Amino acid sequence: MIASMTNIVKRYGSNTALDHMNMTIVKGEVLGLLGPNGAGKSTAIRVLTGLTGTDAGEAQLFGKKVKGHALDLKKRIGVVPQDLALYETLPAQDNLAYFGKLYGVTGVALKERVGEVLEILGLAEVAKKAPKKFSGGMKRRLNIGCAVMHKPELLILDEPTVGIDPQSRNHILDFIEEMARQGTTVLYTSHYMEEVARLCSRILIMDGGRVIAEGSVEEITRSVLFEETLALEVKDPSAVLLENIKHIQGVVSCEAAGQKITVVSTAGAANMHRILEVAMPNIILGVTAQRPTLEDAFLALTGKTLRDGGDA
Amino acid sequence: MKFLSTFWMGVKYLWRDPVMVIVSVAFPIVIILVLGTALDSMFDPEFGANFDPPRVAVVADVDNYLSEFLEDDNVRQFLDATFTDRVHAEEMVARGYVNIAIVEQGFGQPIKILLPAQQDDLAAVALAIVDSFQQIGAAATIAAMQGRDFTHLLGVDIEITSQPLGTRIPRAVDYYAITMLVMILLYTGLNGMELFHKGIFSDTGTRMRLCPISKPVLVGGLLGASTFTSFVQGMITFTFTAVVYGVYWGERIPLVILTIFGMVLFSQALCVLLIVIFEKRNVVGGIVQVLFFVTTFVSSGFIPVNFGELNRVFRFAPNALAQTAIFGAVYGGDNASIITSLIVLLGMGGVFAALSFIVGRRRVA
Ligand SMILES: Nc1ncnc2c1ncn2[C@@H]1O[C@H](COP(=O)(O)OP(=O)(O)OP(=O)(O)O)[C@@H](O)[C@H]1O
Ligand SMILES: [Mg+2]
Repeated sequence: MIASMTNIVKRYGSNTALDHMNMTIVKGEVLGLLGPNGAGKSTAIRVLTGLTGTDAGEAQLFGKKVKGHALDLKKRIGVVPQDLALYETLPAQDNLAYFGKLYGVTGVALKERVGEVLEILGLAEVAKKAPKKFSGGMKRRLNIGCAVMHKPELLILDEPTVGIDPQSRNHILDFIEEMARQGTTVLYTSHYMEEVARLCSRILIMDGGRVIAEGSVEEITRSVLFEETLALEVKDPSAVLLENIKHIQGVVSCEAAGQKITVVSTAGAANMHRILEVAMPNIILGVTAQRPTLEDAFLALTGKTLRDGGDA
Repeated sequence: MKFLSTFWMGVKYLWRDPVMVIVSVAFPIVIILVLGTALDSMFDPEFGANFDPPRVAVVADVDNYLSEFLEDDNVRQFLDATFTDRVHAEEMVARGYVNIAIVEQGFGQPIKILLPAQQDDLAAVALAIVDSFQQIGAAATIAAMQGRDFTHLLGVDIEITSQPLGTRIPRAVDYYAITMLVMILLYTGLNGMELFHKGIFSDTGTRMRLCPISKPVLVGGLLGASTFTSFVQGMITFTFTAVVYGVYWGERIPLVILTIFGMVLFSQALCVLLIVIFEKRNVVGGIVQVLFFVTTFVSSGFIPVNFGELNRVFRFAPNALAQTAIFGAVYGGDNASIITSLIVLLGMGGVFAALSFIVGRRRVA
């Protein structure tokens, strides 16, 4: 186990940012921390990295208490903060070199690593330019680069793709996948479902400072019981047909709009063949069964959409 | 190693900020030329040589009788007197604002008369003036019985010092090279503010706290970088004015450079303290704009002003202290007053640095 947070409570005045939060990070995994704005993701990272104290509970990194061991633990982790943290007037390569040196990378190794990081993040052509002239996506990429100069054992990223173009986003996701392939353990924070679904082997869903669900994408979606939706397209939806479908066991509602019929059934009704049977005499133009997504799971768990008040 | 990396990072960071470079290098070079040209007539060397009526600076305890006498219209025809303090009196002689300074040095001490060098003919005038002072003093003895002590002006020895300060009278450009250099040295504190804000209080500062660098090394590197950069910026102005404008910087260059360095340390300490307290760049920027304008004004940085009694307070303005030291070093002031000014300046800087340390430790827990 690389990191753990046990029953962490963190309050800001009367506002409880973390409410008995538990989390463990296992070596080699890519753990996703998913939650809407204000869920406590950044606070969890601040606690784990020792930037802030706690009101209760204990955080550990590499088997040591975070408190008191700050300096020797710092060398083993790389943190990409949510807010851009660069020296804007210094060229990209100087930013990388400076942070590399702070982590003890020197000489030829440093020079090589700067080139390597610039290359993989697609910044080689602007190596000598200052980030204040960069696009948002380029700044984000450099922000990541500064955290990986020393090839950390644990890489922590706090919403690294907020507010950027799809191309930069892809670049960043590829990069993280590559780091993971090389054995880096990753803690990835986001409120973008599809990113987490793509990158992470395990996901924690947070809301209101608590972890409300945990597991792989499949486990989480399966753990939540959903109503199932079947969308039918028939040539001539008659009132009789709708009436007949409504009488099938498990069907909650059945509505038509033009040629489209949307049938909602209770979870686990397993009545799809019955619905199709009833509909068969008509000419069926199309059938779509909608499976629950992580987004639906999140909605079901929290009653909110992930993008609520999102700043992306 | 991490110290050096941080140091060079800081130096480079500051030099690559165009605003900073314009404010600290281009601006003083231009303003010295502009003021030096525009106000040249105020600094007419003839001004100092002309003594009709003689202008006299008087240093004495505040005394109604003496000031009433000196401000009498009949007396004013013959004597243009200004009350001031000791340090300003010397400076006024040095710059040719007055022809004579009469300095009462306290009970039992001789009265000191300061004259510009090579103007010994003024000595007779000065003696006559002191003599007349003593006459009024006699008249005032009676009043002294009512509680106002004037007696120590009576029958006191007189010591005439030809003030070597007056060997050279500064032209406008010489004057403004000093006062504007001093002002801009104060503003270089913004270098320290900028680096400390960036490296400690901004989001980048948060990242620095995640890096394996100890606080003393970080603070030392940042402070080293801002001090070095500011000193170089001051030296550029110094060298440029000497070479291009032909500004007279005197014979004691090391003392001038030492003062420049002292001023740089002082302003770094002050501005770092401000950013440690307020944490926001624009707040500190605003405070500094107003504060440094005022301290420059009260130190006669823009135009020579005599604030009378207030000079006793204003001479502790950082600009005034640095100006006293540099004018002294350039125009032959005595080492003691130069060193005293420097010590007071650095003492205040030391207090600010200590406060920054105490407040900063609490802020960045
Ligand atoms: N320094 C602070 N002072 C006061 N309240 C804070 C502070 N930092 C965070 N909070 C509060 O703690 C809660 C959790 O904030 P946090 O930044 O951890 O959320 P987040 O999940 O990272 O959200 P986002 O997606 O917007 O980054 C929020 O209600 C926030 O207002
Ligand atoms: Mg956050």
